[in-house]
Amino acid sequence: MSQTKNASDALMRIKSENTLSDAPDETLVMQVARGNSAALEALYDRYASRVLGVSLKIIGDQTLAEDILQETFWRVWQSAATFQSQLGPFTGWLFRIARNLAIDAYRRRNVRPQAFTGANGSDPILEAMPDPDMDVAEQAQLSLQSQRMRKALDSLPGVQRQVIEMAYFYGMTRQEIAQATGEALGTIHTRARLALQKLRGELEREEFEG
Amino acid sequence: MYPRIEELLPFYVLDALTEEEKELVEAYLAEHPEGRAQVQDLQSGASALPYTIAPVEPPRQVKESLMRRVTADAQARERSSARASGERSPRGLRFDNLFRVLSLGAATVAILWAFALHSQVTRLQDQISSLNEQVAAQSQSLDELIRNLPQTEQSDIISVSLKSTETQPRALGQLIADPNDQSAMLVISGLPPLEPGKTYQVWLIGNAPVSAGLLTVDENGQSVLIITSEESIGSFTSVGISIEPEGGSGEPTGEIVVLSDL
Repeated sequence: MSQTKNASDALMRIKSENTLSDAPDETLVMQVARGNSAALEALYDRYASRVLGVSLKIIGDQTLAEDILQETFWRVWQSAATFQSQLGPFTGWLFRIARNLAIDAYRRRNVRPQAFTGANGSDPILEAMPDPDMDVAEQAQLSLQSQRMRKALDSLPGVQRQVIEMAYFYGMTRQEIAQATGEALGTIHTRARLALQKLRGELEREEFEG
Repeated sequence: MYPRIEELLPFYVLDALTEEEKELVEAYLAEHPEGRAQVQDLQSGASALPYTIAPVEPPRQVKESLMRRVTADAQARERSSARASGERSPRGLRFDNLFRVLSLGAATVAILWAFALHSQVTRLQDQISSLNEQVAAQSQSLDELIRNLPQTEQSDIISVSLKSTETQPRALGQLIADPNDQSAMLVISGLPPLEPGKTYQVWLIGNAPVSAGLLTVDENGQSVLIITSEESIGSFTSVGISIEPEGGSGEPTGEIVVLSDL
């Protein structure tokens, strides 16, 4: 009797885990808002490597980036009830939390950000990072996706790419970017708009061509 | 109308505006659907930026540390929620149940008393007006008690009206109990005091009658008895009261004055 119950409990748990791992982000966030820690774990498994990648890109310090990763998901746990799906997808909200935390941490450290990109457009810090607990297949898929995205970004003219990277990854205002690049504010506005429009076009083309 | 606001939109989707600029943009967007459409277009480009960065698999201990923190918080929330909802220990629950039983019992006593008082007033219509005022006051108390009844009935507590037999047709009573609990309250009226050497005995009846205690009524024929049982009250099918020799009997031997299904 007890063994049957244990087996039944185990089956229910596995079923629940499978259901969570397949659930849409928005469903999981709703579960998190109700205090379901397994739903948070599912979101973590889904996006932790992305969040750590972005945090590391901004802060340039593995230990700090890991702290930001944990803090990001802790905030998701605490604030899931405030997420509003009508304002955009969960990933936008998640990355915004991570990015803002990383930029704040970077500003507190008051050090220069890492180089925007290497000479060939690659990111030397990220390429040097070991992945000790890597799920090889999943990681390969994520890396492939990143390569396609990166390719789309790299297809932009350098001056346009630079503006949106300075704004997004380093939290620089348009005035700061204008000052840093020595360009007129109007030029910065134009470059940012063109960059985002072209990036969108590149991504659509990439998606279309598979 | 806002010629320069549109220039801010790329930085709005990149989340790189000052708070003041952000407020300006949001005020603009609230009134300009074409602005919202532009933002949507630009957003699809900006939302791809995190994906241009190679993912970095975090060490296992980051997740473990996070989940320990989350689990502790979830447990704290549960404890807080339990306190808020008045959840208590099993012992506390038993006292709570008993308290609810007593509260409901007191309400029933008042109801029965009010009924008795009301019938007395009916029989003695020519009595002084102060008695009517008393009845009115009691009726008001009864109303208050009835209004309060739903609050005390949020639990599983049941109240069973007891039926008299032909032997004592004026007997009137209530049994208030949580079927899952082993205690109950019996409130009775309309039973005449017995001659010396005799007593009322309450029986809980399942497969066989089990004595639930001896009952002594006052000069008005009223009594309240707290019943305790080895089994939960819900495991019995009936409740009865019989007249037994002083000290009670092992099983009903005398007249049955009350018998009701639970």
